Amino acid sequence: MADHLLVPLHVQYIQNLGKSQDDLVYHLTAHLRMNAIYWGLTALCVMGHKDALDRQEMIDYVMSCWDDEAGAFGAHPDHDAHILSTLSAIQILIMQDALDRVDIDRVVKFILSLQQPSGVFAGDQFGEVDTRFLFCSVNALSLLGRISELDVDKTVGYIIQCQNFDGGFGSSIGAESHAAQVFVCVGALAILDRLDIVDVPTLSWWLAERQLPNGGLNGRPEKLEDVCYSFWVLSALSILNKIHWIDADKLTSFILSAQDPENGGIADRPGDMPDVFHTQFGVAGLSILGYPGLADLDPVYCMPADVIERMGLRKGWKNLERRAAKST
Amino acid sequence: MSSPSVLYAEQPEWADVIPIPQYENVEPLAPILYTPEYKDATDYFRGIVKTGEKSQRVLSLTEHIIRLNPAHYSAWQYRYETLLAIKAPLDVELKLMDEIAIKHMKTYQVWHHRRLLMTHLLRNTDSTGIDKGSSSSSTQSPTQIASSELTLIARTLAEDSKNYHTWSYRQWLLAFFNDDSLWERELDFVDSMLNADVRNNSAWHHRFFVVFQSGVREGEQNRDRVLKRELIYVKQNISLAPNNASAWNYLRGVLDLNKLPYSNLVTFVQPYSVSHPDTPSDLVDLENPPPSRGAQLPCPAAIEFLADVYEKEGGDNVLKATELWKSLGSEHDTIRKRYWEFRVKEGLRAIQAQS
Repeated sequence: MADHLLVPLHVQYIQNLGKSQDDLVYHLTAHLRMNAIYWGLTALCVMGHKDALDRQEMIDYVMSCWDDEAGAFGAHPDHDAHILSTLSAIQILIMQDALDRVDIDRVVKFILSLQQPSGVFAGDQFGEVDTRFLFCSVNALSLLGRISELDVDKTVGYIIQCQNFDGGFGSSIGAESHAAQVFVCVGALAILDRLDIVDVPTLSWWLAERQLPNGGLNGRPEKLEDVCYSFWVLSALSILNKIHWIDADKLTSFILSAQDPENGGIADRPGDMPDVFHTQFGVAGLSILGYPGLADLDPVYCMPADVIERMGLRKGWKNLERRAAKST
Repeated sequence: MSSPSVLYAEQPEWADVIPIPQYENVEPLAPILYTPEYKDATDYFRGIVKTGEKSQRVLSLTEHIIRLNPAHYSAWQYRYETLLAIKAPLDVELKLMDEIAIKHMKTYQVWHHRRLLMTHLLRNTDSTGIDKGSSSSSTQSPTQIASSELTLIARTLAEDSKNYHTWSYRQWLLAFFNDDSLWERELDFVDSMLNADVRNNSAWHHRFFVVFQSGVREGEQNRDRVLKRELIYVKQNISLAPNNASAWNYLRGVLDLNKLPYSNLVTFVQPYSVSHPDTPSDLVDLENPPPSRGAQLPCPAAIEFLADVYEKEGGDNVLKATELWKSLGSEHDTIRKRYWEFRVKEGLRAIQAQS
């Protein structure tokens, strides 16, 4: 079992994703392709290997997903535009210094059109609503420098109603508290400078309660640990300045034990098959925990901290101090 | 429906459609090499989308794609538009999709589709119960169809009792229809879910939603009685399985919402906070059910609860609270050592401030 982050293997794993021989899996995940590239690129940036994927190819792919009818990005060429893929596209282009390729006015129009009378956002014209889409919309508008066009009170008003009796947040009004939904609500509030509505002591405690004796984090009480919660829970705690409430050593060991020591990549838990989603969020979690050798990650935007800092968007979060690498 | 193994390209009924391949006019960065069946079906899907066809065979085609790839949201979207355009009976559609819902319950689209159908059914039925536009094939009212939905949801949850989308869909359905006949079975339903697994956080959350966050219904107007009932309910379940975070969260939630002091529960909580509680008398005390035999004690949540009571009382009792937090950090809940150290520090600071 690995006791350290197998960076070269994970870099290779990410590079090999596009060359998958497993046709079936690859085509069934076309609707995630844009997200997958964002996860892969962000993980590479945090590991210090941004150039492991070809920049121009990536930019060309992103632009090939432009849905000119909607004025936003789909997940794959000829897929309809969706807020999830639109945010990932913007994040990728920013990390690749290519945001100038985007018709920002049209994208802003698309995003704002997704807001419902209740304040929540739909994902696309299909109309599914979820606080995830609210966060992606707020995040995207912020990255595009157009957050001032958002009706903040209306947006925050919806989030307030998603607050549950345990201090957490759900996917919609009345829905159960879930760590991923907590992240998107807290992240949106951080961007909008409205963390004042959060019951910080109760929510922070609820988040700290996600840690299981084996060190891993779960998403709701009495559920299994999963590496991806290393991001959802940790980022929320970092935003609330309570990251030190987590047993960092035990969580670090847990994440490292979920690595695939042969082919690279990180899985949801030890012994399972890795995927790029869990690879990214495992690496992201380690960065927030101060794991040596990694670049700082901004927990609000889930992008390299230096990129966000340069854009003047850094909020008041606090990750754990980066530890110095142990000499072998 | 035609046999899925026969490609649309080989079916004469589809000869009038021009299939559009995935990469028309686009040089693919990473070409998806996918199975002939999926390629063929999606080529024909793109073909009918281009011509805007809305027909029965489009329903067959989209069903085929959804079965191959339930995450293909464009297929779902187009299917819904087609259903409305050809005035297909939506209750029949719901039944058809039941199997897919259970098989692919983790896919958002499955539930969103049902939400759209139910919304349309309710909004397009006039006051006499007759639906306009043939949205339903039967004489069932939308509320009756919603009742069937609750049954489908229960079936889904029998497979995966904590499925987030399913529970959230149930909450939406109940709130959207807001019909007493639908609400009235919910407490029994939660009860059955908790009987199967008392640690089902979704079920506890649902109970809070039904009892306290969805208005006051017929028979529930005596809020004191409701409160009393809920406190007994949660205490009984804590007694059954003390180390159950969901139940303790529920208890706190009930107290917080009704602005009741935690100190009211000290007699109940106390036996859970020690390793060997005094053996209970033979008298059954509904107000204070003791830890069940074999329960692992002390229960960290109980210690935490008592500590909160002492902290609230202030004065010398804050010191008692710090002792309890220390025991949690060093012995009973060591994974959260840092959190308990924080509480101790805060407590000591409060004591200092008092003196």
